[in-house]
Amino acid sequence: MRTAFVGAGVMALVVGCATAAGAQGWVTDARRIGLGGLGLDQGSLRRYNAAYRAVPGRAGQRGQPKVTIPIPLGLIQFFHDHPISNIKNDPAFNHDSAGFNPVELLNTFLNPPLFLEVKKAPTPTNDVVFGIGKDSLRVNLGLTAQLVPQDQFGIGGSSRPLDPGLSIKGVRIGVMGWVHDEVGFQLGDKLLGFLRDSMPADTNTRYNILGDAVLEAGFAPTVAYAGRLAGDSTTGLYVGGAVHYYVGLAYARVNGDGGFTTGDSIFGGPTPVKPDARALTQYSKFGNSFGHGVGGDVGIAVVTGPIELGVGVNDIGATITWPDTRVDSALYRDSSFSKPVANHIETQTKLPVSYLVNLAYTVGKTTLGADVLNSGRGTTVHVGGEQRVGVIVLRGGVARDQRKRMEFGWGGGLRFGGLGLDVGFWTHTNSLSNQRAITMATSLSIY
Amino acid sequence: MKAKWLVVALGCAVVAGCGKGRAIFNVDVYSFIKGTGSDTRSYAVPPGVSGSVGTTPQKISLPGAGSSIVDTVRAFGTLDLNNTSGSGTIGLDVYLAADAAGTNNPSALAITVPTKTVSGTNVTPDTIGADLSAAFDTLFTKSQLWIRFVVNGSADPGLNPLQGTAVVTSLQLTVIISDKFF
Repeated sequence: MRTAFVGAGVMALVVGCATAAGAQGWVTDARRIGLGGLGLDQGSLRRYNAAYRAVPGRAGQRGQPKVTIPIPLGLIQFFHDHPISNIKNDPAFNHDSAGFNPVELLNTFLNPPLFLEVKKAPTPTNDVVFGIGKDSLRVNLGLTAQLVPQDQFGIGGSSRPLDPGLSIKGVRIGVMGWVHDEVGFQLGDKLLGFLRDSMPADTNTRYNILGDAVLEAGFAPTVAYAGRLAGDSTTGLYVGGAVHYYVGLAYARVNGDGGFTTGDSIFGGPTPVKPDARALTQYSKFGNSFGHGVGGDVGIAVVTGPIELGVGVNDIGATITWPDTRVDSALYRDSSFSKPVANHIETQTKLPVSYLVNLAYTVGKTTLGADVLNSGRGTTVHVGGEQRVGVIVLRGGVARDQRKRMEFGWGGGLRFGGLGLDVGFWTHTNSLSNQRAITMATSLSIY
Repeated sequence: MKAKWLVVALGCAVVAGCGKGRAIFNVDVYSFIKGTGSDTRSYAVPPGVSGSVGTTPQKISLPGAGSSIVDTVRAFGTLDLNNTSGSGTIGLDVYLAADAAGTNNPSALAITVPTKTVSGTNVTPDTIGADLSAAFDTLFTKSQLWIRFVVNGSADPGLNPLQGTAVVTSLQLTVIISDKFF
């Protein structure tokens, strides 16, 4: 019972926090964190705007680092608090321990402790009241009910972990690694009412949650071009584009519906509550036939003196066809069983189209910027700037995250010759809480 | 089995809400015994003597709370003593146990309602109110418990026996689980 309870609980927690998880993404550069998530440097902008490969560095900019290495102070603290030698008995991970708190465990999952959490989001502490009778069941979560998501929610997006290549006269040939992952949930109306609105449970009623997940990865030989269409190095119109031939190495997709149905009586009758679940899985394992698809990126950037404006769209038309897919169905009702539905069939997946609109303004030793980014799961808005004073850089920014909450970033850096040390702070709500936490990031850059 | 899977539903709520707060279960015990006959017990005590009669044990379903730590269990209820003849005193004992047979053990005595004086044809309302001793805490982490009522009567000397019925009209147990629901 305990395992089932914990399992359901963790699922609910993931549910509850899924929107939070994708709020600001996974950033390892303290400079960007200090800007509130704004990708102000051209290295960041190239990821989403193909034209930026041709845009020259801004006047007064100190150049881009060759390597940025995060300093994992959070990991040091984490392993100090949770020694690996005792991880099995650690109260934080052992649900049999009296000190186990699932909320804190999920918060750790949602906020991988790479950097230091200088202010942790408080875990909910209000009482939960259950009303139990022979034919009644009701729960009042108090203020915590506000954390139960009403709409569809999810985490994920697409990323390009590697993108090596060679450029000659604006033409670039390379091989890009790509990963697409998404997890989404939606509570059924009855379960939502039960948890969020404290509605009493009904007899002979199904309470359910719908879920879907996709994970696919591969590489893509790419031919790209970026160049100046008009103007000169101070005022110019730049365009860029790339064609990718996506090769899928493996993928898996699950669509599920799980829940339970109450009987003639909530507690007292002879008909038991029946849990049930059904899921359809599709997968093409690594080693099967590769998936194939073609897609592209386009970008445009305008530089007029100190002002830069860019629009980039990625993975347009990126539909991957998987020629050798297996489809299984799984069902649970009293006992679980699964059966193959089809094998060696063709299925398709689609990479989400991501886009970035950015604006930057440089005057003297000050750079200000803003962007709107959508990488497949909601839109984020960032506004920030940095001021260089001798060897010191000061940064600040604000963001509107996927939960539509305002977040703030600030920080600074020191640069001595080819070495830079940066520190950044930002607020986030990637926890099971409506209150913000603050992360301190540190990174080392080699120029 | 039933309680086990209700727990799955409750788990969604508790995990989302418990954190370091408390889980409070208000169990409407009366809803389980109403209409079963276990809520009513007639008594008939000859003049000048004392006696006890009990109800049939009744099962109460609970969600179950595993190895959780029960902090407090508080009972509150009401009963009517419908006396039809004679005079004397009537009291009520509440026994709780993990199974039906266990409610016959003296150690299962959880609540003693102080005696009330009754006489003639009268309805005497009474209340049940007590904090249960810690010895009963583990009962409330299980998926079920059993309850039995025992009516204790003591008739005054005289001609008429003490007769009537004791009827439980409400009973709620408030179980407070602190912090460690899992």
